Amino acid sequence: MNAETTVPKSSPRGAARPVPLFSPGRVATIASGTVTQLVRMKTFYFLLAFALVVVAVGNFNLPATPAKELSMIKKVSFGTMDLFAWLFAIVATALLLPRDQEDRTLYTILSKPVRRIEYLLGKLCGVLVVVGISLVIMYGICAVMIGARESLFVSAEIEAMTSSGRYSPEEIEEQVGLIRQQGLRPELGIAVGASFLKAAVVAGMTIFLSTFASSSLFTIIVSILLFLIGHAHTMASSFWLHSSDNSMIVQMLVKVVKILIPDFQLYSFSEGIVQGEAVVYALVGQMGLVTLGYLVVFLLLSLLVFVDKEF
Amino acid sequence: MSDLAVEVKNLTKVFALGLKKEYVVAVDNLSFEVKAGEVYGLIGPNGSGKSTTMKVVLGLMAPSKGEARVFGLDSGDIRARNEIGFLPENPYFYKHLSGAETLRFYGKLCGMRGRELENRVTELLKLVDLEGAANRRLGGYSKGMLQRIGLAQSLVQNPRLVILDEPTAGVDPIGSRQIRDLILRLRDEGYTVFLCSHLLEQVQEVCDRVGILFQGRMRREGRLEELIAIEEQTALTLEGASPELLARVHELVAAEPGAKIVSEGHPRTSLEHLFIQIAERSREAKK
Repeated sequence: MNAETTVPKSSPRGAARPVPLFSPGRVATIASGTVTQLVRMKTFYFLLAFALVVVAVGNFNLPATPAKELSMIKKVSFGTMDLFAWLFAIVATALLLPRDQEDRTLYTILSKPVRRIEYLLGKLCGVLVVVGISLVIMYGICAVMIGARESLFVSAEIEAMTSSGRYSPEEIEEQVGLIRQQGLRPELGIAVGASFLKAAVVAGMTIFLSTFASSSLFTIIVSILLFLIGHAHTMASSFWLHSSDNSMIVQMLVKVVKILIPDFQLYSFSEGIVQGEAVVYALVGQMGLVTLGYLVVFLLLSLLVFVDKEF
Repeated sequence: MSDLAVEVKNLTKVFALGLKKEYVVAVDNLSFEVKAGEVYGLIGPNGSGKSTTMKVVLGLMAPSKGEARVFGLDSGDIRARNEIGFLPENPYFYKHLSGAETLRFYGKLCGMRGRELENRVTELLKLVDLEGAANRRLGGYSKGMLQRIGLAQSLVQNPRLVILDEPTAGVDPIGSRQIRDLILRLRDEGYTVFLCSHLLEQVQEVCDRVGILFQGRMRREGRLEELIAIEEQTALTLEGASPELLARVHELVAAEPGAKIVSEGHPRTSLEHLFIQIAERSREAKK
């Protein structure tokens, strides 16, 4: 300890300084701290696994037409991207809150003028930034692979059709068009956006669970379980609610599950986009609003549990 | 502005154990005050309620009964946290951040930005002698270094009250002495220091007033010299006294009715003093 130095003062001390009701600056500080934490935990290493999957899929020689092969590559790549995004959102979120609690870092943060909603929002934003960056990188890897395969298929098809001498330029153009429809198109970005929205809801749900969970493992398991139920409950509820021989209790239970667990099937519209279907922008906007609604509800529920929590 | 830094009135904290409807009273009708500018020590064995009291003052826990106020503000009021710097026992910080990044992180949480924050970080790193380790991650810090960065973190927003939970726990005697010196310097510069410890010798060295907590209740409280003075005894330390002088002192005492010499011998230095002396001499010799 420096014996000569006096205790430095940044400003004169006096009456209690005001604390704003909500500070975006503090949210940003916690969010950027979370991003640094996740990056330094080397979480981006999972992108290597993703790249390996995409490269492996891209190099399969399937016994199908080029268009079908491209469609298959896209389907598997985007499916893997979606899987990695929601799984990463669960694991990253589940690690943060319980870990801060277990390590008692939360003590030092909450003993500063930080409101609990700012802490929760900061953590959630941090996770979403990392999920967003991961999706952009994964999309980049997919785009390189699909683009390379597409141009390979197109040039091979043109060469084969031209050398046979049996096809007119219009027929060749039509065939190339079919391949390009299954290739790299700007609309695929919307599918990536849908994966992000789904991962955001998953992260919101996980942050709520972690406010009362006792460990990261519990949070991860329950979140995955709820995610799977959220994927199946539309189908299950239509079966249970329309079945004539079920009791009142079952019907109520199904309704409660339907309210409590987000319907992740809503986000499956992205599968159509990947398969080359037209984008319905109104639906995309609607899904953005639904996601925002889910996030607000989960944040409010988290705050309800977290605001009076004692450490 | 209140001249009381901390005001705890009839504080009771009860914890429910599981779902069995069993309860533990951690703090029982506790009242005490910490005046602005003094060093107050709350001492007691493990489980006596020190940390619970501290957490209530910090706003991390709500009282079951009673109240805690910081500079006149309810401890649950977020403005009170702007006035408090807290060093927890075994500081818990993000191990992936460096010393400088840690101070920046906590400074930003207190609303500091730009040049003001950078200057503050530099000053505090200098104060706790961690300039050389500013860019090293906390995962590689020793226990003493963590304690020092923790202390710097507690001072980042220039609070009026510094709360220290076992500030020297696990720190070697030299580090412990440095922290003690800093606490005294904080007091000299007008900060209020509220510390919890079970290292009694250190509390004795730095505290103006002390409260002794046992099983959640305040057993004794007051100025340190009043609490530890033995009123009917007087200590006299002589230097260069000849055997003849000592004999005359003995005679004088024997002549006084009711007076007697209780103990006599050579005063000893403490092991801590001896250790620090040796360390300092070795450091000097190395230069």
